[in-house]
Amino acid sequence: MIAPRSPADLRAALGATIVGQEGVIEALLLALLCNGHVLLEGPPGLAKTLACRSLAAALDGEFKRIQFTPDLLPSDIVGTRIFDQRESAFATVLGPIFANVVLADEINRAPAKVQSALLEAMQERQVTIGPQSYCLPDPFVVMATMNPLDSEGTYALPIAQMDRFLMKVSVGYPSRDEEIRILDRFAVADTQPVRAIATLDDVRAWRAQAHGVHIEEKLKRYIVELVAATRRAQHVRVTAGTGTELRAAELIEYGASPRATLALAFLARGRALLDGRDFALPDDVRSVAPHVLRHRIGFNFRLATEGLAADRVIEAIVEAVPAP
Amino acid sequence: MARRAAAQLAALLCLVGATCALARSQSLQRLTVLSFDLAADTGAPQAGVPFHLIVTLRVRERAAQIENLDLPMLAQLELLGDERETVSGPRGTRYRETITVIAHDAGPMGVAPATLQAIDSRDGKAKEWYTNGLTLRIAGTGGRVVDDGGRALLLGLVMIGLGTAMVFLLVRRRRRVQPAPARAAPMPVCVPAPPVERSRRDRVCDALAVLRAERTRVAAVTVRTAIWRMAGATDGETLGDVLRRPDSRDPITRGLLIALERAAFTYDEDLPAAIVDACSALERYVEETR
Repeated sequence: MIAPRSPADLRAALGATIVGQEGVIEALLLALLCNGHVLLEGPPGLAKTLACRSLAAALDGEFKRIQFTPDLLPSDIVGTRIFDQRESAFATVLGPIFANVVLADEINRAPAKVQSALLEAMQERQVTIGPQSYCLPDPFVVMATMNPLDSEGTYALPIAQMDRFLMKVSVGYPSRDEEIRILDRFAVADTQPVRAIATLDDVRAWRAQAHGVHIEEKLKRYIVELVAATRRAQHVRVTAGTGTELRAAELIEYGASPRATLALAFLARGRALLDGRDFALPDDVRSVAPHVLRHRIGFNFRLATEGLAADRVIEAIVEAVPAP
Repeated sequence: MARRAAAQLAALLCLVGATCALARSQSLQRLTVLSFDLAADTGAPQAGVPFHLIVTLRVRERAAQIENLDLPMLAQLELLGDERETVSGPRGTRYRETITVIAHDAGPMGVAPATLQAIDSRDGKAKEWYTNGLTLRIAGTGGRVVDDGGRALLLGLVMIGLGTAMVFLLVRRRRRVQPAPARAAPMPVCVPAPPVERSRRDRVCDALAVLRAERTRVAAVTVRTAIWRMAGATDGETLGDVLRRPDSRDPITRGLLIALERAAFTYDEDLPAAIVDACSALERYVEETR
């Protein structure tokens, strides 16, 4: 019998296992609370798999990892029908997508039809194999990773597909102190397995709580203003690497969609719940804004020619919209 | 009761005026203030009867609009309307703001001065100007005790008095052998009131008075803004930004900021409890800084 726990307990349990990477842990938990999926961009070896595995273990749920490769087929993900000679009939074999926490490693290494099979399943939360449709388990969280350093032989995700991820998180290297702690921890033994501290039912209950988190009217307006600012960013100034000052509008091809507005509200609610509040604050919105906007804004070639990072432009846009 | 109301009004003015100074100092207008006053259109306002408070500012410059002029928050008066008029000409600008208010309770009531923050064109320094304050005696609804006959008698007496005064003035003027030499009217110079140095504790006391008097979300947001500015925050910052400031590091201030944030953003059902919590946090601050 597991005592009822809060999302904050889950965060603490994961934090005890994974050194640093608070951003990844929070992103995973927010995706869980908001019924969404996360796209992680960062170099390999940053405990992404460990985070996913630990989350599934902490929830007493099932974890599956799919390594995306150029020769992967949609049936390798969703499942297929195999002819059973003894029974003289087709039997359905469910693919690795049937798990509570799925790690889609290096999603951009597989061709478009495989990516779309996964993304469709993420959106519909069901897959069709042969004549029959199968519901995916609930909760169902996909954490997809992309390596920004090695782009050879990759298939870029179309923007419309990227938009299906609730958030895109940039994973950075740990600090020196964190790396020393990693050394100390792994010198003694391999990773400490996470014990189940909550159930899948708890997650469903947390989700219902997250839906009930209050967003004050002026905070809603702030969310809308933030997203609108990505579409008309004439007044936002960004200093390029060369020192020249540019208008953000000159760098943006298109702004974020209304799905970003919804995502901001969902995630602000989730973050409030994670902090033990039943009302959202401007801080919640501001902290999740880069993750929501990062993959939803289309930048033009000037971003690269001016030596600017997309995050710097997003940061300038977020700073330019005054919080209530 | 009335004294408390007056104190609260004064506190409101000080709170809003003093705490806004920092944030506004970067965008002040350059003005030569010639006069700045506050008046009521009646000397004997009555409870339940609307009357007007009029703020008049004259400056030498031609200004399309006047910024950073703060009216006193009229917690004990209900605001019915607000009309602004700016007239610019070669002789400067006259700004007139007419506030229509109504009092619901009888008794003496203090209206704190309005304030203006601007850079004085004469010496280039940022200053704060104050109007005069007003003390009004609000008559109760039973204040109309004079009947029609009595009113006629009173009017007659006033007319007789005015007539006598006019005759007296005419006779005096005729007796003068030589008219007094014409003298140019002195240019009215508005001496800015010395800036009121209010401690943080005073400001928190003011905020507490405001929140106790008006337990609404609007008041909570006003108090939050004031306390944030006290902590050095500017417009558009979030709680996280303010908590990172050096002035917000002590636990009492942090608790206060968090409680006010809750009062500003929580759901309606939780608002009364959040305001109680915010009042307690303000009281704790006042106690700790005693």
